[in-house]
Amino acid sequence: MKKFAAMLLGLAVMAMSIPAFAHFQMIYTPEAAMNKGGKIPVALVFTHPFEAGHTMDMGKPEQFYVIRSRGENTPKKTDLLEKLKPITWTSLTNSGKAWAMEYSVRGGDYTFCLMPEPYWEANEEFYIKQNTKMIVNVGGEPGAWMEPVGLPTEIVPLSKPYDRWTGNVFQGVVMCKGKAVPGAEIEIEYMNHKPLLNKNAFAKEANATAPQDAFVLQTIFADSNGVFTFGIPKAGWWGFAALDLDPDYKYKGKKCSRDAVIWIKAVDMK
Amino acid sequence: MKKVFFAMILVVVCSILAASPGFAHTPLCSCYNNGDGTVTCEGGFSDGSSAAGVEMRVVNAAQNVLIKGKMDEDSEFTFDIPKGPYKVQFDAGPGHLVEVEGKDITE
Repeated sequence: MKKFAAMLLGLAVMAMSIPAFAHFQMIYTPEAAMNKGGKIPVALVFTHPFEAGHTMDMGKPEQFYVIRSRGENTPKKTDLLEKLKPITWTSLTNSGKAWAMEYSVRGGDYTFCLMPEPYWEANEEFYIKQNTKMIVNVGGEPGAWMEPVGLPTEIVPLSKPYDRWTGNVFQGVVMCKGKAVPGAEIEIEYMNHKPLLNKNAFAKEANATAPQDAFVLQTIFADSNGVFTFGIPKAGWWGFAALDLDPDYKYKGKKCSRDAVIWIKAVDMK
Repeated sequence: MKKVFFAMILVVVCSILAASPGFAHTPLCSCYNNGDGTVTCEGGFSDGSSAAGVEMRVVNAAQNVLIKGKMDEDSEFTFDIPKGPYKVQFDAGPGHLVEVEGKDITE
């Protein structure tokens, strides 16, 4: 009897610790692979991208920086935190506090890295902290896109994140504190509504329609080496969020889901 | 006899393949106006290898060399913008020449 009660308790704890996510931290710019350098807009929005749904208020990020790498040159880190300007992002259902800036790029890889302030998810009573990367390239000369940047939680790409054709696969390794996370759960969302940076809003029109809720947020798991593989069915930006990689992690004494997000952009072969 | 013939063909094909090490190795060069009367060119290769030491030339419309130099250790080359039309040549050897027109160089 006691055993049964213990089992029930165990199940209850397990059920409680499986959070209902679908939040995605975005680092957005329109193009991942550019022919020419120049000023690019960058927006940080914490939202539900497939449905352009509820947008959460972001606090001031803990860290936001870019790592420029070109060829065999030593990668160079530039702090961008003080360049961020607060904006209000409008979703199809609400609006939320977000951040934006412009940045001048030349040739090579630019890995934008964000450590947001943890977000208090009142419904679930825990914090969410999605450390996020987005990599753009100018001119086709690669840099260190495949190297870990050293975020506490991080998805390290095994496929060049800016050279994917529609129908290619994307592979990455889920890492926590520098180690691969076997069996990590990864949620995937398509940026289904175009972000309109001149309006700080999502476009109303959707690119795709989900036949059922499961398709809004796809789920896969990493293998025993922390490696995951995803076939890309449609051109555009795709977000990958590996969830709760450090189950004992706490923020202000409360449970905090330490996630890792990466964005990639696929292009149609024409 | 047939076997010998095939072996010979194989040897020829292999030696042709072995002689093209620059496969999937495209030279790249982009130039940017620094806004202070100078231009910086960044060179490299599509496989990420360094372009340090590659010869750089700035030539005028008559193909006369105005400025000559080499990519530095960061695969960069900076020069003072000459008067009149010019183009930049990144010369990494036969089949590896990239030319950038001066009028296409912006910030």
